[in-house]
Parts: sequence; structure tokens; C-alpha cells
Amino acid sequence: MARTGTHAAAHPGSQLGSQTGSPTESQAGNQTGSHPEPQAGGEPLIEAINATAGYENLRERTRLIALRDVSLTVAKGEFLAIVGPSGCGKTTLINMIAGFVRPISGSVLVRGQEVTGPGADRAMVFQDYALLPWRTVEKNVRFAMENRRGRVPAQEQGERIAKVLDLVGLRGFEKSFPHELSGGMRQRVGIARALVTEPEILLMDEPFGAVDAMTREAMQAELEKIIAQTRQTVVFITHSIDEAITLGDRIVVVSNRPGTIREIIDVDLPRPRFTSDDAVKSSARFAEIRSHLWALLSDEALGAKGGQP
Amino acid sequence: MSDTLPRPTAATDRSTPAQTEAIQVSWFAPFRSTAITVVNLSLFFLLWELVARADVINPLFFPKATDVFSALYNGFADGTILPQLAHSLSNLLIGLVIAAAIGIPVGLLMGASRVADLILSPYVWAMTSLPRVALVPLLILILGFGNAMQLTIIVLSAVFPIMVNCMAGVKTVDPSLLRAGRVFGADRIQMYSKVILPFTLPFVIAGVNQGIARGLVGMLIGELLGGGGNGLGFLLDRASQQFDSATLYGVLILLAVMAVGLVQAMRVVERRAAPWRSIPNV
Repeated sequence: MARTGTHAAAHPGSQLGSQTGSPTESQAGNQTGSHPEPQAGGEPLIEAINATAGYENLRERTRLIALRDVSLTVAKGEFLAIVGPSGCGKTTLINMIAGFVRPISGSVLVRGQEVTGPGADRAMVFQDYALLPWRTVEKNVRFAMENRRGRVPAQEQGERIAKVLDLVGLRGFEKSFPHELSGGMRQRVGIARALVTEPEILLMDEPFGAVDAMTREAMQAELEKIIAQTRQTVVFITHSIDEAITLGDRIVVVSNRPGTIREIIDVDLPRPRFTSDDAVKSSARFAEIRSHLWALLSDEALGAKGGQP
Repeated sequence: MSDTLPRPTAATDRSTPAQTEAIQVSWFAPFRSTAITVVNLSLFFLLWELVARADVINPLFFPKATDVFSALYNGFADGTILPQLAHSLSNLLIGLVIAAAIGIPVGLLMGASRVADLILSPYVWAMTSLPRVALVPLLILILGFGNAMQLTIIVLSAVFPIMVNCMAGVKTVDPSLLRAGRVFGADRIQMYSKVILPFTLPFVIAGVNQGIARGLVGMLIGELLGGGGNGLGFLLDRASQQFDSATLYGVLILLAVMAVGLVQAMRVVERRAAPWRSIPNV
């Protein structure tokens, strides 16, 4: 509940919310310009300023541009969802924030500091879970606290593990190995491992892309609940429109490769979005945002087909 | 707040930890596959005996099963087999240890360092592909007919599969595990000790497994062609020259048992070392 309050203070939806008011003229609300101004009232935690990224192919002496001139800001405490067609560079965007990929030009800043590599202030949840298969649930979570950077004193580790496993609903599975767990439960371990470091920023790269639809809904609901408690800033990649709307405070729509920001949509729906009566998900506003996003993305999907014969 | 949240899949996803309960089956159930193997082998040797006794095949090519077992028994009783078996087995084990001691670190280095890989790989691949037996004349020239030659050929046979597997292990480490290592603060040493090496362990074991198979071949090549006058290969060679087909078959059975025993021992090691890999029970 508290989260809804901070969210409202951070982005008074009036300015950006107007973009979604006119779904027919999608270009009108284009945010690709180089004006990463902070949200009114909220301090910008993450900033991308005209960031361009690509991958070099030494054999062909070419460089594939994955993202071009991306500018955006993420306010502290915000849940930013990124959607786009597959291969559009959204993973490159999150990898830049994580510090795996350096921009070719432009820059990515966290708290005003240029990102040069991974840091203890950012934790990541991976689509394929990326758990160490030879470690139990407990030891996988411990992994995040025992390395040189971000080391947590040994006596504090056990307490934190118990707390975080409670939070994600994995009590009783401490001694299980990942291969003994279902996909949804493996991802709970992935989330627990990220949360146990108490990061300021949680980066989630299609975290529920590999779990079944039923589990996916339940995980979304629990993620909303968890984030309401821990109040992390979240950057969340997905290719599911519904997932983006139900979780995001704002949605960034990325266009086809080379990825640029097509539009940023303010999701002015109340929280919690997961309620027993499904009021939010069945609201007219939800449907409106969804059809707008759907129009944008099917545009992009068709573009992709045309571009690659 | 939590009251308002739905828990639609509480039953499907949040299962309880694995539970076991007793089931009603015959006391014999756990031993069934062993029993089948025993019956199977007994029938095999019985059939063998019957075919041999029918006297349709020249007993020089196909001796009776009972003759084979009695030749084995006599060989062990009069001390002609045991010293040769001990010679072969100890050579093989020493050769494998040396091969592992060289192959594992070099393979890991080649996996970890592009420069080392670029420099070493032409030689490693040439040696991996070259039929080992081609080296025997050269090794006899250099090392003579002694044990050094036999041991060298075992090492040369086993070291390259071990090396190549270790290299493959390091190179195929799941990239998202490496990213997880970086996100969660592992430095270079921690990345190797906590992510790369544990990931590579099953590859190392697979390499040693191949090394055993290749080393066994190398052992026999050395003993058959090296003219050292010892080892199971020498027993085979001598039995053949003396038209002692019962001993010849007996030594072959011994070799098969030895090979199967070593491979099974490695499977136990593998299951212990990498329980997360589901190893099909072939």
C-alpha cells in the first residue's frame, strides 16, 4: 500500500499519461528525444543518455547495432517494464544497466555515476534462472553473499537466507537442488538470490518467460507483493503485454533492431493490481492500454517480418 | 494487504518437499535386475558349452566354456596369469594418473586462455587424431622394449581425450552462470573455484572415462607389439602362438571384466561428483 503512495508522488501521471490517451497517433508520444529529465518529484536513479550499443563481428569486420540513441530515466522506487519484439535489443538495454555491455556512444548512469561494470547496487534475475546446479537452494542464495564484492558477514548470512526464503515462499526447500524443483520454484530461488543482497535496483530479464502460464500469473502477483515490501527499483523485461501492464509503473516500448524507444507509457492503474476480484485487470483502462500496446507491437512484429525475408 | 492477493496456483507450484512412503512389493524386487544378469550370463555360457560340445566348429577356434574357465583357474593357480595381470593393471593405472596429471591442467588452461588454446591446439588435435599404434615404432626406437615404452604409449593414448574434454568443459560453461557470477561479485579466482571448475567436473570425469578406454588400447598395443614379454597382451600373444585357445579366450574375458569394472567405477565417481546430471542407466 505504501508503495502506491510513493509511486503517485514520483510520477504525477498527468504529463506522460496523456500519451496513452490518443492511441491512434502512436508517434505523437514518442520519447526518443535526448531529454532524460528526471521525473517531477522523483530523483533519477538510472539514466541512459543517447546510449548506442552493438556487437562486433571481427570476422566480417562489422558491428551489429542492437540499440540506437536510447535515452530514458528510471526514478527511485519505480517499476519500469520494457517490452518489444524479440531481438529488438531490450536485453542489451538491461545488460548495459547491469554493466555487462558498455555503450559504444552515449552513457548509462546509476545515481549519476557512469556504469563501468556490475555492482552491488544492482542484482539480476535471469530468464534461464542461472542457478548453480551443484548447490542447494540455500547455498545458491548464499552465493550472492559470499563473494569478494558484496560480502555479507557469515553470521548474518543464515538470518538473511531464512528471511528471503520466507519472502519468496521457499521455506522447507533449503536442502533441495535446483533439478529437484519446478521451473517456477527455480525462479523463486533466482529472485531470492537477487533480493538477499538487498540491492537498490532489481534487473529482471524475462524472469517468467520459461514458466507455465498458471505459475506465471501467481509469480507476477507475488512479485508485486514482494516489491511492495522491499520497495526496490525494478527494470523488468518481458514480451508479454499483460505482464508489462500488470506490473509496470511505466512501460517502455522498444522498436525493432536497431532498437530505439518507440514510446513510453504511463500505467495509471491503482495498486495492488492483483486482487481477488480482478478489478484492475478487467478495468476499461487496462483494456485501453493493452489495445494501444498491441497496436504498437504488432506494427513492430510486422516490420520485423518485412525486414528479414 | 496479503488477504486481497490471490493464490491461484498454491497447489500446483508450492508443493511440499519430496516425500517417500513404503510400498508393497516382493522382497525380491530390488534384486531383480541382478538376478536377470546372472541368469542371462549363465545361459550364455551354457549355450557356448553346448555349441562347442556339438563339435561343429574347430575347438582351436572355439574351445568349450569349461575349458576356458579351467585354463583361467589353472593360470591363476600356477601363477602365470596373476603377475601379468598385476603388471598390466598397474601400468594402466600409473599411466592414467600421469595422463590425468598432465591432461587436466593443460586442458583447463586451454579452455581458459585463448592464447594457450591458439598455440597448443594444432598439436593437441594432431595427437588426438593420430592413430596411437603409428607411434609404436618410433617409441621402440627411442625407448627400447622396456616398460618405459609401454607406459609412454598408455599416457599418450589417455592424455589427449582427457585434455580435450577438460578444454570443452571450460569453454562450454553456461554464459548466464558466468553473468550470475559477475552480478553477484565473484572475482577471477572465485569465478574459477565456484563456477567454472565445478561446471567442468563432469567433463573431466567424461574425459578420464575416455582416457581409460583409450589407455586400455594403448596398454595392449604396447604389450602386443612392444615385445616386452609381460602383461596380458603378452599372454594373448603367447597363447596364440601355442595354439592355446582356452587361455586366449580366458584372457579376453579377463580384459572385458577389467574394462567394465573400470568404467563402472568411474560411473560411481561421476554420480557422486555430479548428482545434478541425470545419467541414463545404460
